[in-house]
Amino acid sequence: MSWHQIEKWLVNILLYGSMAAILTFFYIPIFTMIAFSFKETNYMIFPFGGFSLQWYVKLFEHVDFYNAISNSFLIAFFTMIIATTLGTITALAWVRYRFKLRSVFQSINLLPIIFPQLILGIMLLLWFSVLGNVFEFNTGIVTVIIGHVVYLTPFAMVVVSVQIHAFDDTLEDAARDAGATIWQVYRDVTLPLIWPGVFSAGIFVFLLSWGNFYITFYLNGGARTIPTFVFAGLTQGSIPIYPALATLVFIPGIILVAVAEHYRRRALARL
Amino acid sequence: MVKVVDKSLKDRELWVTASPSTLLQLAFMLAPLCLLLMITFQVTQFFQVTWVWNLDTWTDVFTTGYYWSILLVTLKMAGLCVLLCFIISFPIAYGLATRFKAFENHIKVLMIFAFMTDIVLKTYGWVIVFDDSGVINWILRGTGIVGPDWINGLVFSQFATMVGMIYNLIAFMIFTIYLSVLNIDRDLIEASYDCGAGKFRTFWEVTLPLCRPGIWAGCLLVFVLSMGVYLEEKLMGGGNEPMMGHLIHQTFGTRVNWPLGSALTVVLMVVALVVLLIFIRIYRFDKYTATR
Repeated sequence: MSWHQIEKWLVNILLYGSMAAILTFFYIPIFTMIAFSFKETNYMIFPFGGFSLQWYVKLFEHVDFYNAISNSFLIAFFTMIIATTLGTITALAWVRYRFKLRSVFQSINLLPIIFPQLILGIMLLLWFSVLGNVFEFNTGIVTVIIGHVVYLTPFAMVVVSVQIHAFDDTLEDAARDAGATIWQVYRDVTLPLIWPGVFSAGIFVFLLSWGNFYITFYLNGGARTIPTFVFAGLTQGSIPIYPALATLVFIPGIILVAVAEHYRRRALARL
Repeated sequence: MVKVVDKSLKDRELWVTASPSTLLQLAFMLAPLCLLLMITFQVTQFFQVTWVWNLDTWTDVFTTGYYWSILLVTLKMAGLCVLLCFIISFPIAYGLATRFKAFENHIKVLMIFAFMTDIVLKTYGWVIVFDDSGVINWILRGTGIVGPDWINGLVFSQFATMVGMIYNLIAFMIFTIYLSVLNIDRDLIEASYDCGAGKFRTFWEVTLPLCRPGIWAGCLLVFVLSMGVYLEEKLMGGGNEPMMGHLIHQTFGTRVNWPLGSALTVVLMVVALVVLLIFIRIYRFDKYTATR
């Protein structure tokens, strides 16, 4: 075997091996949680005795659980609608227009991504408590939604931008030549063409909002979502229903990610 | 590809598309930032912020060594996290872009899911893995490597915090490097081979320099985000070796001292910004030497 072949062989071992290692690393805690959801004992001890579904039953009997699920869903849903809409609109200007102050526009609209969420949450908490004194409101679901929208609009913008980069704008010119107004062009040509990007951005925003901890933690007032509900339970002492909860959260999550990626990829391949 | 159009600032289409989110960020990102700066110059009385302009909070910050030692710990952890994330993710990102044609998208879905799912549940999963009665110890005891009473001391340590930080942040590094590897022109690599360079030399002198933008962006993102870590340190580190996130959270939550908490936040942001500027400085220099 020549040196060249050995070199090639070693590189392949490194690349394939590291990929296998990282995927294992990513899924260790996830599969551990799923396994623990079927345990029989009360304690977080491995190996656990027998198989049982009692923690799912306990979870569904837990009153706060329904509250947390409905809050999480409400917040994620409204965040998805607002942040995806805003992100799509911003992406149009981001990709297609060159103008004075463009770099200012870009840095302002990317800032939340490179900001630790803990600090963003605290800043917004201060801001809402000052505004709340003036306009007399308390933090709650609405403030959480605003916080999530601020944080996730840039994510939606980045995802949609990729789609806009790839799309063929001669179709818009054709529509314009045929006499369509600006609004008609956007509604009937641009939006359908970039829709796959918008759709997957929406799913990503939904999931990130659903799983968000820091911003929710500071802005929720009394309203608990799944992550803050779990965190509150963990800091008070581990309660064995959380693995069951985790399993119920993970399964729809991975299906949504797969759907979003599939849809986005097919659309990009078609362009 | 879409055309890029020049627009004047008077254009209505530009205003309609560019202003909504800019206004949002001005109102809920930059305005709170200004408020944060202003609050550092106030004092707190009976758990309430009183609007008296003075420098008490800042004297407190600069005279208490404890805060600065925590900042040092945070900087060390963040630096180590960036280094480890880079070392781990480079072969992964490179392999994902060049080797896994058939499975590339499945792997991406698996990674995106692991990155996006509920952060508290994932972190808690690690606690169960690391715990003395957890999975790792069971494997070690079962295979007879250690005795039955062996305690691994993994959970509630800085090591555990680091694993949690890498776990939650590495996706940013993998995807930025992956994108920059995808953008490399294959012809340049072929040209290098044609000139007689080996695999290693081509990697070192062609591939790696061409990936630099992605590497810098990834390092920057991971560094800034790891400065504000709280959850990993609280759940996995057990809060024994506090970092800035913990300190800030405690100052706001338990001590209800908003001016001090704001001042510590400002310190954290300024330090992160300084490091960031140094990064950018080196990057410029790096780009200059690379294109020379």
